[in-house]
Amino acid sequence: MTTSKTGSLLTTHVLNTADGVPGARMALSLHRLDPQMALWNLVSKGTTDEDGQCSDLISRDEFTAGMYKLRFETRQYWESLCQSSFYPYIEIVFTITDLDQTFHLPLLLSRYSYSTYKGI
Amino acid sequence: MSIRLQHIKDHILAANQCAEMSSPPYSPLTTHVLNTGRGIPAASMVISLHLRNHTAASWTLLRTGATNDDGRCPGLITREAFVPGVYKMRFETGRYWEALGETCFYPYVEIVFTITDAAQKFHVPLLLSRFSYSTYRGS
Repeated sequence: MTTSKTGSLLTTHVLNTADGVPGARMALSLHRLDPQMALWNLVSKGTTDEDGQCSDLISRDEFTAGMYKLRFETRQYWESLCQSSFYPYIEIVFTITDLDQTFHLPLLLSRYSYSTYKGI
Repeated sequence: MSIRLQHIKDHILAANQCAEMSSPPYSPLTTHVLNTGRGIPAASMVISLHLRNHTAASWTLLRTGATNDDGRCPGLITREAFVPGVYKMRFETGRYWEALGETCFYPYVEIVFTITDAAQKFHVPLLLSRFSYSTYRGS
């Protein structure tokens, strides 16, 4: 089980379960929903490192209760490996209510399947 | 024909009609939602199917429905309507868990997938708990 890096409020870890390697250099972005405007606002963009991890997606000041979306550019990732994928992108939408917690949202991914869970 | 034989014949015809009515409509795209937190099918979950509109960069709603007691939603799309493109299946997971008196980390789940060969069958299940989910491409 992957866990977040110390001190990071919201982290992710992408694992390429088809090849048994970290999902390195995958572009991703974090968005927060503006409920009044019914629009997604971009919070940050990032890219997973060689270990498939991406932290520092949001600062303590920005981290407010609400609905968030983590978007992973999976088509681009698989294209860089000269492969196609069933999923052009993956968006994981989640609700943050308790700001005292840290949130680790991994993505375990193959070309034809994926899973995610809430970790710490 | 005697009255008794006629009654038997009528009974058999009625049973055949019931069998035809209970056969689920064919769909080249299917789903199955499983509540892995409780080990049961996820019944009565509202789902919707959308097709990406390339020119407008928006989504066209194709079908809404709810899973049956087995967690399935027959008749999502007809063979004729199933064309190559980018589809989105949306599952109202927050509402589902709320109906069970619980919260869910995921207010909804959207699975976006690309269909290039619409002649195949595609099964897009969702295995869901309050704090995790998974999906895969089946047939």
